[in-house]
Amino acid sequence: MRTRTGLAAAIALVVVGIVAAGAAFAAGLSLTSQALTPYRTCVLSGTPATTTAVIDASVRQATATTNFGTSTTNDIASSTGANRRLYVRFDLTQCSPAIPSSAVIRLATLRMYVTVLPAACRTVDIFRVTATWTEAAITWNNQPFGTAINNPASGSASDTFAAGTPAGCQNLTANLYIVGATVTTDVAAFVAGTATNFGWMLRDDVEGSATARTQTYSAKNLGTASQAPQLVITYVTVP
Amino acid sequence: MVARRAVPLLAVLGIAGVAVAFAASLTLSPGSLGADLESVPRCTAAGLGVVQNVSGTTVVSVTVSSVPAACGGATLQATVNNQVTSSGGSTTVPGGGGSVTVTLALAVAITAVEEVDLVITGP
Repeated sequence: MRTRTGLAAAIALVVVGIVAAGAAFAAGLSLTSQALTPYRTCVLSGTPATTTAVIDASVRQATATTNFGTSTTNDIASSTGANRRLYVRFDLTQCSPAIPSSAVIRLATLRMYVTVLPAACRTVDIFRVTATWTEAAITWNNQPFGTAINNPASGSASDTFAAGTPAGCQNLTANLYIVGATVTTDVAAFVAGTATNFGWMLRDDVEGSATARTQTYSAKNLGTASQAPQLVITYVTVP
Repeated sequence: MVARRAVPLLAVLGIAGVAVAFAASLTLSPGSLGADLESVPRCTAAGLGVVQNVSGTTVVSVTVSSVPAACGGATLQATVNNQVTSSGGSTTVPGGGGSVTVTLALAVAITAVEEVDLVITGP
């Protein structure tokens, strides 16, 4: 009888041990249910000036056959016979780690450092470029969107922002990065492979102003890291 | 006699105990196990603005904007990696959300391509 009682006690101890171990596992593993919000960001910057991750150039109507790909500044201007446009392209394939084609792009922001603002608040349109161009060869005459002013139509812009010194203008202070240039939809299309990345063209919403309205941005070739053109892409790989 | 009844009873209890332990471990299903990926609870699915704050030629901190109020009280960890140097830091998201700046433990040289990883834990 004593032997049987001892056996029962041993079994009871084993059972208690197994239950305790199970409870310990459950307690440890339950930590994974904590809320986690992971984001990954690829920042492409036009620095150093020799990088191939970014190409930029402005084109000038008044000097229609001249290439400004090595200029240290890029202009956007509205002026009769002297409009200026800015072309910029970021090589998304240089993101490391690579952005998977299945990634969900949460936000893509174009950041340009403005050094000169017009005295009037001007709307700038951002258009997705649909044909190839190169930094060393683009001019007003051979630009992908052609030489007609106010083309393409403002309504087809990917996004717009406003810049100028008057109070209330979205970007009214010089020597800062402009805000409000969002290109999320375009970048999502590039990443998913539904559109080819030829970059963007920025122009004044109403070209041909009788009073010249010029804004100036730091170019990649300025070689200043704190003023380099940037594309900031925030994405998640698990929606 | 009592002992003869107790042995099978304890055996049954033991099996039941193991089953309970297994059932408890299965509560992990919302997470990521093995090769299968599933969504985990998160305080936001919105786009967050990310700006690297530069001093000279290095990134010294990261400002994350548009953090929703739902993330208030959470810990935001940011890591900047330029493929050569990696550095990070963390801060607590204020109750109302908004913008937070995370100071990096070490400044990271700015390069053409950088990766910024953000992880918001909680609330």
